[in-house]
Parts: sequence; structure tokens; C-alpha cells
Amino acid sequence: MPKEILEYWPHLSAIGVGASVTLPGLGGDIHGQYINMSLDPIDWPMNGPFSSTLGIRSALNCGLSKVEEKFTEELLLKPLPDRKVLAHFHFESTAPRTQYYGRHHHLFPKAIAQLVQKFSIREMELSFTQGRWEYESWGGYDPISSSSAKPPGVELWAVFDVPVDQVDASWKNLTHSLSGLFCASINFLESSTTYSAPELAFHPASVNLRYGTLPREAVCTENLTPWLKLLPCRDKSGISSLLDRPSIYRGFYHSQRLRLRHVKIRADAPDSDTVLEQTLTVVLQPNGIRSKESHSSKRKLHPTWSMSSLFGRKIEGRCALAKSSNVYLQLERDLVAEMKRLKEKRKIFDISVLNEDLIENPAFEISIKPDLVLREVLSSQTESSSLTYEYSIGKSASPNTFDLSFTWKSPVAWSCRKPPLRASRFLMGSGNERGTIAISLRSMGPDEGLNVSDMDKERCVLPVNIFQVVPWYIKVYFHTLKVFIDEKPMSVLDAVEKIHISPSEDKVSPGVMEMVLKLPCGVKSATITLEFDKGFLHIDEYPPDANQGFDIPSAIITFPNIEASIYFDQEITLKDLPLLSSFQEKNPIRYYTEVLLVPLTTPDFSMPYNVITITCTVFALYFGSLLNVLRRRVSEEERLHNAKGKSGPLSRLIAKLRRSKEIQPQSTTTSSSLFSSKLILKIIMVAAIAICWQYLSG
Amino acid sequence: MKETLKVHFQFSPMAIRILLLSLCLSNNLYASSSAVASSSQTATHTNNWAVLVCTSRFWFNYRHMANTLSLYRTVKRLGIPDERIILMLADDMACNARNKYPAQVFNNENHRLNLYGDNVEVDYRGYEVTVENFLRVLTGRHETAVPRSKRLLSDEGSHILLYMTGHGGEEFLKFQDSEELQSHDLADAVKQMKEKGRFKELLIMVDTCQAATLFSQLHSPGVLAIGSSLKGENSYSHHLDSDVGVSVVDRFTFYTLAFFERLNMYDNASLNSLFSSYNPSLLMSTAYYRTDLFPRRLEQVPVTNFFGSVMETIHTDRPYRARKRKESQDRIRMPLKEAVQDNQQRRLSDPEIEVRRVRAPEDSIGRTWNSLQNKMKIFEYPETFVYYGLVMMLPLLAVSTWLYS
Repeated sequence: MPKEILEYWPHLSAIGVGASVTLPGLGGDIHGQYINMSLDPIDWPMNGPFSSTLGIRSALNCGLSKVEEKFTEELLLKPLPDRKVLAHFHFESTAPRTQYYGRHHHLFPKAIAQLVQKFSIREMELSFTQGRWEYESWGGYDPISSSSAKPPGVELWAVFDVPVDQVDASWKNLTHSLSGLFCASINFLESSTTYSAPELAFHPASVNLRYGTLPREAVCTENLTPWLKLLPCRDKSGISSLLDRPSIYRGFYHSQRLRLRHVKIRADAPDSDTVLEQTLTVVLQPNGIRSKESHSSKRKLHPTWSMSSLFGRKIEGRCALAKSSNVYLQLERDLVAEMKRLKEKRKIFDISVLNEDLIENPAFEISIKPDLVLREVLSSQTESSSLTYEYSIGKSASPNTFDLSFTWKSPVAWSCRKPPLRASRFLMGSGNERGTIAISLRSMGPDEGLNVSDMDKERCVLPVNIFQVVPWYIKVYFHTLKVFIDEKPMSVLDAVEKIHISPSEDKVSPGVMEMVLKLPCGVKSATITLEFDKGFLHIDEYPPDANQGFDIPSAIITFPNIEASIYFDQEITLKDLPLLSSFQEKNPIRYYTEVLLVPLTTPDFSMPYNVITITCTVFALYFGSLLNVLRRRVSEEERLHNAKGKSGPLSRLIAKLRRSKEIQPQSTTTSSSLFSSKLILKIIMVAAIAICWQYLSG
Repeated sequence: MKETLKVHFQFSPMAIRILLLSLCLSNNLYASSSAVASSSQTATHTNNWAVLVCTSRFWFNYRHMANTLSLYRTVKRLGIPDERIILMLADDMACNARNKYPAQVFNNENHRLNLYGDNVEVDYRGYEVTVENFLRVLTGRHETAVPRSKRLLSDEGSHILLYMTGHGGEEFLKFQDSEELQSHDLADAVKQMKEKGRFKELLIMVDTCQAATLFSQLHSPGVLAIGSSLKGENSYSHHLDSDVGVSVVDRFTFYTLAFFERLNMYDNASLNSLFSSYNPSLLMSTAYYRTDLFPRRLEQVPVTNFFGSVMETIHTDRPYRARKRKESQDRIRMPLKEAVQDNQQRRLSDPEIEVRRVRAPEDSIGRTWNSLQNKMKIFEYPETFVYYGLVMMLPLLAVSTWLYS
């Protein structure tokens, strides 16, 4: 080992990797040393020379060997009752907040780390969504729908670790940075008319929270690509290589989400880890390729799908940098129950114990045998639990390519777990002056959801949080708030437990309404209504397509006491399977209502011009003729002309002209042919002169 | 090269002596200001930027976005990196609900090339594409929070390509059907850019109706402008894709791309060969270019000076030596293969006249009429001609009435 290298990197000799292995071509230079280093028992996440050096330094300095960044990739597939397939991609990067790495990161995206550092972000979530999540047919009671069903367009909220008076400034700068990072117009959220600071009804309540949405933001490839660039393997290998743009954007719903938070893995740890969670939820329609089925069965039978038919690609091995790389296939409770019923009916298999995991069943066939079957743990024994099949990429039978296919053999009908109350929001009233916003909550049936707390029917209360932001030009009169429960009007004081309202201020801030409703458990329907007036915008504030209408962002309805979690029977270490461990977290059920489209009076911008011109014309005609009639004196003019006609050659010429004009009508009557020939002569003369002149000049 | 370097070695002590003398004689301020002035004048071409703008909203203007994305693809292929391209698209066509091919944009009905690709980076989109933002990008007067990726960070050594497409008229270009960029605004922005040393040379390419009128107010040196049509002419779309349901590309851009598809980064085709490739009968309009502000001869300017990022390599035998070179000697000595055509003639030929010539040649009156009309077309300002004629008519009338009275 050359001496100067030892001096430069003293810790190398301290570890005792003096026995240099000389690689051919490298001649014992510094690279040879580092390749040797990777034989070290400490498992370095990357073998790059620079990173291992840093790692050694940190290990030497503090004696911690477990400070490392981590990346996992997961994909969950789920057949949906309406013949569609849900694909939920989940990528998670974790970076310890330590000083050992300095500003360098192995796996954690540097762009995000810089954002966190610069704006002191404690928590942040950004989502890009196109389409609307169907809570009734795709589920509204499971962890995926409560965390990944998002309102259309862009939604951003962030909690900052800064003094309260600096939060707005940090928010503004953050929106600009994110808009540059994700190629979207998130910077429109910087204006104080678009964001709000919820205090009551939004989930992570904090003074430093800011929330904003852009309902009409387009979502396309240019947003997905920078999102993928945050992954260590990008879309080159591993599960992310499935993300073929045309097949994703052909789907019915896609939501791309980025969530940042700080988590303490151990209670005694001095610093918390920064966790970046990137999820992409897509609902795709498999194009059923079927030929031999009869018409009646074709209607009922779900289309067969495989990963290659859904995405047009297969998984070619795992991302080498991922700690775990798993694919899950989830079957819902109702589907599992339906399977069991089907089995009983057919009596093909012995239903007693053997095939509890349903891998072999009469209704469908899975091409690859799962590595592990996870069963949901339920409190009541009456229901059947949902099943999750786990495949880990790279370990399964065919290590090179992974292409899971799901073939339906007989028609099955099932339903998903619906939300406790179905929410919808609509406008009432007509005309361009005023209207009413109504939010209605309806129960989905007697058995769903609300039986959680039916021990005491009388005093049981279901709290519902409603959070609604209304732009300033929709001037809501909050005193007109009315609550109807089971079609009967209730006094606001009885139905509303807490309410927080910040009225809108013209061109400064939006109107925010947060309320906690307390509904009786057996409620069939509940409706709240609010009246509003439509405001006028300044001519510059109208967007180019103002005729389309203006959006009121989705209201968020949360059921704080009902949690959508799935607990599994297997012991899962939290570190290895972030997706499944996130299912076990206590997430309240969240429901986004529709975006409302309010038509505002749109001025026809050409109207002022038309009005001005026509008015001016009328005025000119009126006043002109009036003045002419009033002021003109014909006899005076005649006299003046006669007086002037006696002096000067010019006036004589004019007089002669006048005389000839007087003569002219006679001549035209007597000899029209002569006059026309004269005229033609003149025109020819002019034309000849013009041609001559043009030839000369040209 | 070696010889020139020798010359430099011989002269360098002398130069230092002169410099010292000048420092002694003149005050500091004067010296520094003169140095700045000389550096801005002799700045070499060091980097390339592109600002590509589609100003039209709504689905039926699909072709304008396809135009812009085609240019985007071309400049990226010829070597301008994404961080030096400012792409402004006024609407979302790729993921539009009306698009049968989601996340794809085509500029040809054969659908061979997906312009939207996997790696497109749109800097300004939707409602952000306004005249204000456009002028801010050009002049560099942003809010402090605006990220670097949305700024035009060019310097006095930059060659900038500014491409705009949309609907326009005489001396204006519409932005999203609600605002207009006027020729004065553009000229003012360019002038400000010149003052601030934000470009060395600027190529403005506009594909819109009456594009030539947009350049009428430009007067900053170093600007070259190409427009798809003259005053009074429309720019037409090239063809309709019945699968997409709308026209997918404009004629001017289509033939510009046809020219560039044959090139790669290392080609030496000159700007003149690009300009002479426009055929008015295919374009259905007359391509106009304004060269009076541009210092170099078009035959000597390779297209990659604007549409690509090909840097001139300066050989030095010593690292970190002060750059000393003469502009004239290091001119790109490349054999430029193009036919030098008479610009004047090409600009005047009009497809309609050609057709008429073919159809009615027998009649002598018809011929004279035709030639007369041709002459009329040649005449640059028909209005003045008419005025002169009227003025001539007045004394004629007076004389004739005098005579006959």
C-alpha cells in the first residue's frame, strides 16, 4: 500500500486491511483497496468506493454498525368486484437522521433530503390523482382506500418544524420547489387564497399544518418520471420496471403519492428516521381474452389477467438495492367467504381443514405458488378473514422473470367492504346568483360498519369529521347551516359537537369549515346544507376557460373512531415489509367527496367593445345631425360664396369648378355616352401614368 | 493551430506591457468597464438553450402541442440537455380524456414516434403559460422562490432557440385565447435580454399565421428570425389523423422536422440550407426570415449552433491558461454543403401565381393582366401605390374639367 494513501486514509490501516489484493490492471492503487474492503463483515449497502469509505469513517467514529439507509419495493394486486384489478405499488426509503453521512446518501433521494433540510419539514404528503375512487365497488373500509384514495388533481399538505410566523413563508417556498421537482403547477398553491390551515378535522392536527388542493391539475408522464427518478433503481429494474406509461394512464384511476415523515424506530433512539413512502395506486381493466365460453357465462365470469397483460411487461428480477422485493395478491373477506360457499356447494374438496389457504379452488387458478400465505386476524369468528399471498421476487421458482397470472374458472360475485356511510356532495338551486351546497351521508346497509359499537344503542354516537375549503368567490353564509338527520331537521347545537369556521376574505383567504358531527349509530341518513352567493371576479382573474366553471375542492369526511386496519396472523417484522406493516397501523377511515363545478357568471369580454362602438356611433349621428340642423344657415353661406367669388385666382377656379358642377347634371342627361367616354379616358390616363411610374420605380 | 499559438507566445509579453501601461495611465474604473465591454463583445459561444412555447389551449389545438414536442425531441436528440430546455405547454393533450392513446402524442398518422416518450420534462403547463410568465422567462425577472428548472439561466455566450407556435395575427400571438403577445412586447423583451447579456445569438422561430409581422419591431443585434408565413398569409396544418381525430402537425414545422430528421449531431448543414429547404408550394405560405440583425452569414452558421449543443473545442497546451484567441481565426472551418439560392426570388414566388400562369397563357390580354398583377404583388406596399395613384388622379381630373368647361 503506498504510503501517501495510508496517510490520506488513516483508518484503513486502523482496520487492518493492509493485505492488499492487487487486481489486474489496477496495480495496487486505491481501487484495489476498496474492493478488498467489501469483504468486511459489515454489510455495506453499496459497494461504491466513496460510500464505503464514508461508512467506515462513521463506523469508526461512533461504533454503530446499523446506521444505514434502506429501500424496499412492494406491489399489491387485488381483483375487484367490478371486473377490474387494483395494483398498488409501494416503495419506501428510509434514511437515518445522522451526522455521519453528512449530506451524502446512498439510497435516499438527495432532492427530497434537501427539501426536508431546507424547509424543516416534519411531515408532508403530495398526491397526483386522475379519476375518482369508487368507494362502493373498490372498497372504502380498507387501509388502501383510506390512505391512497385521493381527490382528483393535486393535494398537498405539510407540517413544518419552524416558528408559527414562518410557516407561510416555508409553505410558499416549498410549493415552488415541488413544482420544479415534479413538473406541475403546484406553485399556484402559494397564493393565500388557495391554502388553509385546518385545526380540527384534519388528521395530523398541528398549528404548523398547511393544506391545499388544485382540483384541475393534469397528471401525466411528466409527473410520474421525476417521481420514479427518486427510486434508486428508477424504472430500470425491479418492480418499478412494470410501470409502462400508456398502460398506467389507460386505467380508470391512478394516484401517485409521496409521503414524508419522521419515525422513531426505537424509543431510545436520539434521532428519528426520515421515511419516504412512494405509492402508486392504479385501477386497471384487464382486456379479457376469451373465446370458448358461452355468452351467459361470459357475462358473469371475470376476465383473466396476468401482469404482462395488465402492464405489458414482466418483472425481470429484483432491484439489486432493495432490501426486500415482494409481490402480494390479496383476496377480500367476501371473496374468501364466497369461495368457501362454492366449495361446499360443489363438494369437490373436503372443506374441513386441508385447503384453508384456497390455493386450489374451483373458482380461480394462480400460476405461481405463493411463498407465504398471510391470514387476517379477526375479533369475531363468524366472518371469514381475507387472505394475502406473498411472493418474494428473486426467491421464487423462476428467478429471472416473474409474471403472475390469475385465471378465473367459474363466475363468482362478491362485494368489497364498503365505508360506514356513503358521502356525496351536490349543489342545489339554480341561476347565477346564489345556490346551496349539500353534503349528504347515507348508511350503506344494516350490517356494515356501524355494528362496531352497538353495545349501547341509546347512547352510542358516531363522530364524523367534515373538513371543507371553499374558494372566496363562493361566499358561503355559515349562519344558514342546517342539519337534517334521517330527513328530520335538527338544531345545530344538538348535532354538531364542535365547529370551527374561518370565513373567507375577498381575494385574501378561502372559507374553511371544520366540524365534528355526532350522529346516532343507527343513522340512516344525515345531510348538512349551506347557502352561498356567487361572487364576481376581476376581469384579469378569470382563467382562459372560465366558461367551464369553477371547482370547489373535495370535502374530506373522516370517521375518527373507525379504523381500517388489517392484522395478520404471521409475525411480521416492521422493518422488512413496510406495506403490510402500514396496514396494521391505526388509520381512521377517510372519504373524499366529489369536486363540485360551479358555473359563475362569465362576462363576454368582447361586449364592452361592442357597446362602446355602437354607443359612440349613435351619439355621433344624433349630435352631428342636430348641430347641423341648428347651426347651418344656407342663405348666409350663399352670400359668403358670392362675396368671395370676386377676388383671387384660386376662388375663381373654385367658382369655375362650381359652375361646371352645375352644368354637369345637364350634360349627363343630354349626352351620357360622351360623359362615359370621358370617364374611361380619364381612367386610362391614370392607369397609363401609374404603369409608367411603376416601371420607372421598379 | 500551432502557428497561431506561437504567435501568441511572441506577443504575450508585449500584451502584458501594454496592459500595465494602460493600468498606469487610466483609472481603475475605466479599465474595468472597458474590460467588461470587450468581454461581452468577444464572448465565445459556450452554451445552448431552447425555449419552446405552445400557446394554445383546448383539444382541437393538438397540433400546436405536437409541433412543440417535435421540436423538443429534435433539440434533445441534437444534444441540448433537459435542464437547458424550457418547455411551455398550455394544455394537457397526452393525458386528455379525449386522447385515444393515453400518455402518447403523435405528429404523424403513421404513429411511429411517440413524442411524449418516458422522459419529457414540462416546465410550465396549463394556466402557467401566460404572457407574463413567458416574458419573465426571457428577461429572467422571477420571484426568488422560482426553482432553477423554470429559469432561463443563459449568459452572454449563449445561443438561444426560441420557438413559438399558436394562433396569431398581424403583430400578435394569442396565448390561450385570452391574452396576446405583441410584437412590441417581444422586441422589448429581446432588447432587455441583450442589455442584460443573456444571449449571444438568438434564433426566433414562429409557426403561426402572419408570423412575419411578429418580427417587425425587433432591433437588437444578434437576432435571427424565421416565420412560417408573411403578412396576410395563413399557416396551415399538414394532415389530419383520423384516429386521433384532429390535425396533428403544422406544415412549417412538419417540413422543418423533415429537414432535421436527416441530420445527426455531427452534421454541418447550415442555416441557409434549412431556410432553402422550405418550399412555398408545399408550405402553402411563404417562409420569411429576417437576417438584417444577424452578424454572420447564414452559409457559415451550422444548424447545430441553435438546434443542438455542439461546442467548439479550444485546444490549449497548458491547463488553466488565460484564453487568448482571435475570433476570426477560430471560425468554424467546415465545408458547408448547401446551394446558395437567391433569397429574393424565393420569397416572391407564390403558388397561386404559378397556377394561374400555367392555366391562362394564350390570351395576350390575360398575359398582360397577369404580368400586371405579378408586378402588383412584387410591389412591397400596395397601399402607397394606390395613394399615389389617387394623388395623380386629382390634378388630372382638375385639368380635364378645366379643359372641357
